[in-house]
Amino acid sequence: MAMKKALTVIVIIGILAIMNAIVVQGDAAQAYETVQTEESIAKVSGDQEASNNSDGPRSYSAMEGIKKFISFTGFANATPGHLIMLLVGLFFIFLAIRYDYEPLLLIPIGTGIIIGNIPFFQAPGVNLQLGIYQEGSVLNYLYYGVTKGIYPPLIFLGIGAMTDFSSLISSPRLVILGAAAQVGIFMTLLGALVLGFNLPEAASIGIIGGADGPTAIFLSSKLANGSIVNGVQTQNLIGPIAIAAYSYMALVPVIQPPIMRLLTSKRERVMRMKPPRSVSKLEKITFPIVGLILTTFISPGALPLLGMLFFGNILKESGVTRRLADTAKASMIDIVTILLGLTVGASTQADVFITPQSILIFVLGAVSFMVATAGGILFAKVMNLFLSKENKINPLIGASGVSAVPDSARVVQNEGLKADPSNHLLMHAMAPNVSGVIGSAVAAGILLSFML
Amino acid sequence: MNILKIGLDFQGAIDEGLTIAIVGYVTVFLALVILYFVFTYIAKIYKLQIRQKLLKEGVKVDECCKEIDIPGDVVAAISTALYMTLMLHDEESKVLTIKKVSRTYSPWNSKIYSMRNLKKW
Repeated sequence: MAMKKALTVIVIIGILAIMNAIVVQGDAAQAYETVQTEESIAKVSGDQEASNNSDGPRSYSAMEGIKKFISFTGFANATPGHLIMLLVGLFFIFLAIRYDYEPLLLIPIGTGIIIGNIPFFQAPGVNLQLGIYQEGSVLNYLYYGVTKGIYPPLIFLGIGAMTDFSSLISSPRLVILGAAAQVGIFMTLLGALVLGFNLPEAASIGIIGGADGPTAIFLSSKLANGSIVNGVQTQNLIGPIAIAAYSYMALVPVIQPPIMRLLTSKRERVMRMKPPRSVSKLEKITFPIVGLILTTFISPGALPLLGMLFFGNILKESGVTRRLADTAKASMIDIVTILLGLTVGASTQADVFITPQSILIFVLGAVSFMVATAGGILFAKVMNLFLSKENKINPLIGASGVSAVPDSARVVQNEGLKADPSNHLLMHAMAPNVSGVIGSAVAAGILLSFML
Repeated sequence: MNILKIGLDFQGAIDEGLTIAIVGYVTVFLALVILYFVFTYIAKIYKLQIRQKLLKEGVKVDECCKEIDIPGDVVAAISTALYMTLMLHDEESKVLTIKKVSRTYSPWNSKIYSMRNLKKW
């Protein structure tokens, strides 16, 4: 039985190889394909003149028809790049299902990568309206939400509607840890400049260090979208930046723990913190209103993100718009996540994505995550030097200053439990975590105001 | 000459980047430090208001201060207790009685079923 299956597979591969040889490699076939390409260009672009000049409808022999069909299949147009990207897509899906790494993100992105890398016939001037970069295609329309920066603020609305800021309100000093961890953004900006990226591109790459996918997409859609920004021609880096940001967000449980263990002693990891006080409803309502006005006055560039974040939180905390808050934090964010994940995945079309720049972006992204984590932990240790004994903070929670909500807070909780099974740090870690979201959005706004 | 120009451009970009990085980082810090101060003082103002309100009602300040800040673990314990009481138990009528059935006749209490019904000739 197994032999039979293997034989079938070998035969199919053989047939495909022969077909490929006939259509793509043979000299005659090459010449035919050139003619076909020209005809396709005339046909697809609706060049009526070309059709009128021909002497009536052209008749194809059966072989020509088959060859034409085969030249349009994925097999004839596949490149090693496509196959690599298909494997990457499958790997993402595998990670999500097997290890439960951010399945809500990695399944749409992984499937998007597969959809975006199904090879199809492409030639200059031909627009089959299939690919994500082909104007008028369905995917292209959905991709507008990414390139015009529509999806990220909607995601922020949902995040605002589901975030409880009480841990932050009860311990405002932990807000500063969220600022400290943003060091990753600015160090990566410098790193990207050293590696030869121009300033707008470097700023977009730097924001990966904020560990915030929507913010990274928002900034790269403004600064690294292939257009001229502030007199500088930029490359379209939205795909690689988004993939790097989301991949590392999913890999937070892998990246952060070794750095946390490296930078803290066992004595520091078992440190217990004062339980947070209860927060009144009035404080909870005041926070988004004051936060919105204050942060957007300092960084108006972050208005679409912070405006929506705090708006979502007002919906939640006001207590009178429960239906709207429920929609924002459930159905709406789910719809936007599906569209965002799918289109970001599909934007990794091999010919656009597999470049040396993408590899550099991935390297810089990993470094920025590590620097951000280390920055938060070290700053927590510095803060401890000035705090009284009963107010000292567990340095582990500094790692949650990166704004991967709630993943990094969860990592802190797990690391804390490993050191002391009765020491729960989750509530404390949520404060720098949500403050990191605000911090990275403020940083994005500042970078935007510098570049535009 | 070209190498020198590229070098100078690169140096210029790095300088500009460094400026952006320093100013940007300081600004992010500034924004969140202001937020920290605002919320530290807002909490104090609210606490003061509650204290004054309690004073008007005749509650001693020292007593009320202890009551204003309920520790998080106490809140968690109360919330868990409420959750367990309200969510984990079935709502029951709490009336332990046997209701009288309006239909008095039942095969269970009918003598006729417990006796042999002999045919009368």
